[in-house]
Amino acid sequence: MALKEEVINAIADTLDVKVEELGETEKLYDSIGVDSTEMVELCVSLGKKFGVKIASNEITKFSTPLEITKIIESKKQ
Amino acid sequence: MTERVAITGIGVVSPAGLKKETFWANLKKCKSFVDEITRFDASLYPSRIAGQVHELDHYSHLSSRLVKKIDVFSHMALVASEQALQDAKIDLNNIDKTRVGVFMGNAIGGWLFAETELRDMYVEGREGVSPYMASAWFPAAPQGQVTIYYGFKGYSKTIVADKASSALAIWYGAKIIKEGKNDYVLAGGMEAPITPYALLSSNTCGQLSKNNLNPKKAYKPYDLYRDGFVLAEGSGIVNLEKEQHAKKRGINIYGYIKGIGFSSDGYHYSRYSPDSESFEYAIEECLKDADWSKKDVDYICLDAEATPMGDFLETKALKNVFGKDLHNIALSAPKSMYGNLLGAQTALDLIVTLFSINHGTVLPTINYEMQDPYCDLDYTPNVLKEKKIDKALLLARGRGGINVVLAIEK
Repeated sequence: MALKEEVINAIADTLDVKVEELGETEKLYDSIGVDSTEMVELCVSLGKKFGVKIASNEITKFSTPLEITKIIESKKQ
Repeated sequence: MTERVAITGIGVVSPAGLKKETFWANLKKCKSFVDEITRFDASLYPSRIAGQVHELDHYSHLSSRLVKKIDVFSHMALVASEQALQDAKIDLNNIDKTRVGVFMGNAIGGWLFAETELRDMYVEGREGVSPYMASAWFPAAPQGQVTIYYGFKGYSKTIVADKASSALAIWYGAKIIKEGKNDYVLAGGMEAPITPYALLSSNTCGQLSKNNLNPKKAYKPYDLYRDGFVLAEGSGIVNLEKEQHAKKRGINIYGYIKGIGFSSDGYHYSRYSPDSESFEYAIEECLKDADWSKKDVDYICLDAEATPMGDFLETKALKNVFGKDLHNIALSAPKSMYGNLLGAQTALDLIVTLFSINHGTVLPTINYEMQDPYCDLDYTPNVLKEKKIDKALLLARGRGGINVVLAIEK
């Protein structure tokens, strides 16, 4: 599975939303109304899943799944 | 309180049912809803029986995305609030949400969430703790969750006063309605003490029944062989609004909150004062606030601690206040059927009493078999009876002597 799909699945799984609700170029706030506490959960969860450290100011409510994928990708290199 | 505050909606999540119709139908069976605790291994607890809510998810309207962020006590409050709003036929799209408030009471907060996350902190470290911990466990969480869920922005409050919490919350909500600060108030309480840590803490208070072999017979207030009360979980929420406001809407009115009396024993951090003067003062103050005479009272819903001292002091206070008039007043503790919900107990007492008022029925104190010479009143043992009830008192005592009495009328 491509990293992008893995990230989208992980976001959906962590936040208990459907994959179809997440547009890959749509801000999380716009697509699913994510709140700041959910973003803290997402940082920790994605960090654990992909073996990287993500600070809470690196991805925000206004990040898109595609942008988050790129951040994780760059950290993995 | 001279202007009446009407109760126009009821929501209930209890061991005896999760909707008002089921709750009332079950209580009329006059049987116990107390069982052995099975949701976790409670075998080493001195008291391991409780009134438990079994079908919350089935009745819940919440998304799994929200449920995982909140403790079960908030979940129960949200379910009961939804029922109360629907019952009161409030059109959420056509009300001023800045004039809707939420007044809740509970005694211990959300321990299932808290203890799970604290365990994770010690096992996994700092990052093992859910970020929702901060907003899930504390006693005001249900009030916050209800206001957020519906977008209510009116004056709201949470009261923590042990077993008198929801009694004070209901009064506070009624006061705010009477003062015209809100058009609607959701008032009541919720409690979720059936968790490993909360059950342990409740056990250490030393007031729980240890009659684990006979859960259905364990909660027997005023009986000579009682050995404490039985814990329960659940939530009771009612909708309050001004009498004229309710009548203008043409909505059914279950009853009115007429007055309150309260006092503190000022004696000990957990025990009651060995004399009942302070408790009597609260009852007298409530009668004054409601502008009732002692002869006016038809029914008293009892606190029913089921300890020798608690039952004795309650009996003594009633005798001292009402004297011979007590013979004309029906007394009972319907909570003997489903358990004591601590901070939410009066919310359930209120709902039970409203049903009693509307059906002319006094629910009994079950499991009463042997009279205690120090508790020799007629507590309506075991069998319900018919009686016209226009005016009723609800008694609530928090540990350390927080005495609250509410007056309810038809």
